[in-house]
Amino acid sequence: MTTPRTTTTAERSDGEVVDALRAALSADRVHTDDLELALYGRDASLLRGDAVAVCFPCTTAEVQSCVRIARQFGRPFTVRGSGTGLAGGAVPLGRPVLIVTTKMQQLVEVDLEDRIAWVEPGMLNLDLTRALRRHGYHFAPDPSSQQSCSVGGNVANNSGGPHCLAYGVTSAHVVALEVVLPNGDVTVLGGLDAEPAGLDLRGAFVGSEGCFGITTRVAVRLTPDPPAVLTLLADFLDPLDAVAAVSAIVAAGVVPAAIEMMDQRITQAAEAFVHAGYPTDAGAILLVEVDGLPGGVDAERAIVERVCTDHGARTVRIAVDEAERMLLWKGRKTAFGAVARIRPNYYLHDTVVPRTRLLEVLSKVYEIADRHDLIVMNVFHAGDGNLHPLLVFDAREPGVLDRVHAAGEEIVRVSLEAGGVLSGEHGIGLEKKPFMGWQFTQQDLDAQARIREAFDPEGIANPEKLLPEGSRCGDIAHLDAAHRERLLASGVWV
Amino acid sequence: MLHVHDDDLASCVGCGLCLPHCPTFRITGEERYSPRGRIEAMRQVHIGAKPVEASFVDMMDTCVQCRGCETACPSGVPFGRLMEGTRSTLAGGAVPGYQPWWRRIGYRMLSAHRAVVVGSRLLAVGQRVRLVPSRRLGLPDRLPLRERPLEPSGSDVWLYTGCVMDAWQRDVHRAALRVLRAAGVGVSLPRPVRGGGCCGALATHAGLLDVARVQAEATMRAFPGDAPILVDSAGCGAQLKDLGHLLGTPEAERFAARVVDIDEWLARHVDRLAPLARHDRIRRRVAVQDPCHLRHVQKVHLSVRTLLAPFVDLVELDDDGLCCGAGGAYAVLQPELAGDIRERKVAAVGRSGVSLVASANPGCSLHLSAAGLDVCHPVQLVDEAIHGGRA
Repeated sequence: MTTPRTTTTAERSDGEVVDALRAALSADRVHTDDLELALYGRDASLLRGDAVAVCFPCTTAEVQSCVRIARQFGRPFTVRGSGTGLAGGAVPLGRPVLIVTTKMQQLVEVDLEDRIAWVEPGMLNLDLTRALRRHGYHFAPDPSSQQSCSVGGNVANNSGGPHCLAYGVTSAHVVALEVVLPNGDVTVLGGLDAEPAGLDLRGAFVGSEGCFGITTRVAVRLTPDPPAVLTLLADFLDPLDAVAAVSAIVAAGVVPAAIEMMDQRITQAAEAFVHAGYPTDAGAILLVEVDGLPGGVDAERAIVERVCTDHGARTVRIAVDEAERMLLWKGRKTAFGAVARIRPNYYLHDTVVPRTRLLEVLSKVYEIADRHDLIVMNVFHAGDGNLHPLLVFDAREPGVLDRVHAAGEEIVRVSLEAGGVLSGEHGIGLEKKPFMGWQFTQQDLDAQARIREAFDPEGIANPEKLLPEGSRCGDIAHLDAAHRERLLASGVWV
Repeated sequence: MLHVHDDDLASCVGCGLCLPHCPTFRITGEERYSPRGRIEAMRQVHIGAKPVEASFVDMMDTCVQCRGCETACPSGVPFGRLMEGTRSTLAGGAVPGYQPWWRRIGYRMLSAHRAVVVGSRLLAVGQRVRLVPSRRLGLPDRLPLRERPLEPSGSDVWLYTGCVMDAWQRDVHRAALRVLRAAGVGVSLPRPVRGGGCCGALATHAGLLDVARVQAEATMRAFPGDAPILVDSAGCGAQLKDLGHLLGTPEAERFAARVVDIDEWLARHVDRLAPLARHDRIRRRVAVQDPCHLRHVQKVHLSVRTLLAPFVDLVELDDDGLCCGAGGAYAVLQPELAGDIRERKVAAVGRSGVSLVASANPGCSLHLSAAGLDVCHPVQLVDEAIHGGRA
């Protein structure tokens, strides 16, 4: 669990780093208690690391101090928001200074004329949307962890969510960022103008998973609340019929705000928690949301209903009021957590495959899980082909992790073979890093590594994440697999 | 090792969906003050064999035990059970001096109802002559000096009167009696049983399960027969409904099945009450504050709305039912956190634009009143609407 502190020099320098951090923030916002460090050793993934200290800055200047001190003492730093990430992006590696943004939660400014708001990175995604509600706006990216995840975390992972099908992912909703760069400088990337001059460094920063620096303020775009919204639930006996319906809906000219699919097992688990009246005998259900002007919504509803019925939907239910609509969504949004009702642990990838290949990839996913004697539960953003096959297991069962990882790798492989990509929204973090070489060529990786170096020449910002070691030269796969094995062996909690 | 089940500990997947629903995480943003963090800390001790040190005790002691995390948890982690087991381990000798003798005596004394009433009266006198620092002790500003006794009116139902509530908020019981009488329901009052004056909720939360069991046994003897037991304190009601789990006997199961929150019971009979409302007064706007043990434990908070709807204009707060920080003895034991948590609730009430708050739990209402809010029990509002004045 805790990395043994080997030399007295390290001890001394630990103490010095902590003293400096305490002087810069305050003693009560720099924590080093062993037990507390263990709590910050992991995020919502299964991986584990160890920080030298956990810092809770409240201002940009304090974040800047943390970064400068880390650099001065030759330490890396890692930033963490709510810790809901599934790819280990906030796991502290290399005994870094862990900078936690949860005490930076202010909605700094709402500018209705420019339709933007400046928010601090620790603000929760759903809190932001709620704060904007009285103005008739919302923040469009709505990951399933919306109630808990932070805007800063959304920026770091370029998060998606059900409604990104029509509205786009985080990158489309962030116009400017105030960031602390790894050298300690504060700068603003992007701007409020429609076409800010120069390179789009904002675009590069969004999704950089804490490797380019730390976001301290975000200018988010405000999206008007749609005048009318309808949520439909279509249920199918065969999950493959549901997948076919998804493509057919889009082919029929409708781009719904969201199309989500849940297979039978996940539907049953979610229903046990939310009691939304999900048909638990269905092979799969689709949640489809259409929004816009009332007339358009009605026309689109009719098309969706017809297409679903044509593809074998047993019933198409339409939420009659906001309460029912929220209930239908609650089941979808809490589905990951609900799997513990089946087994206490889960592991998943969030590969994206072309919508037209969904059918084929999904069949293979079931087949892979069967072959490894694992339960797989599928809940995903069907509209944009973003899979989330949850492999559920009990980590206390000997040998199960090996099977889980082997099945996970195969799922990644079949997704990539179908022309897909590694991650739709969860980020690469630690977990998917070993697979980067499967998707990208050495030249691709080298180009990405160069951009990273431009932001962080010393390699101190969230090290060992995102890009495999050796991205700039030679063969990476072998080295990195070994490294990953070491991490998993030492770090996975049981 | 903690007195918890391995499977309960394993059932948390660490997704973090509980975080915004935890009052201490909301105000601190620190994992150590969150359900996920507390469970991880329990694992470190229970499975990882980390020693129980001051830091661990602080993480556990700062939990309000509101159980908002249970409602939010899609995995159904029984957090209340985990916390109860952990605190009973601490109190059972894992940490010397965790519950010092004087506190144990304090919890025990709650059962001695006469002593509670006399003690309260002494405090009231002390307040009048300015010898008692009410604020520092977390006491209401003006404790009642003398309260008229309650009058039973029949044997259809029992009214549970409790310990401190009967000393400090007997007005609520009186209103409940008047409303029940108006509905044509005869009410019995608890038999005077030695040591039967407290339900044991506070002792349970403190990890003193042995004390709580003795209190529970005596309480059961105070309510013979089969008649429903109506409780106008959400915290006591939650505890009494759980006696089957605490004592593990068929008698306790049967007793627990008779327990009904008064709002829950009256909501079922609201058709009888609604026509009794006097319409010569302007309907008042009232903000509903959900006591956590009504919302997350008993899960009957909607009854308050059903009950009040015919009599007042209800206004919902916009804070997702987040805890107010009262937590039984929590406001006294963790005054700083309790105060910070309360500020969020006070702000939510402020945003609602309503000055009167309905709360079905004495702890919440004392805690919120101490911050200057006008708080009353839902049955008091019904009583006023029917009888035109407060009981």
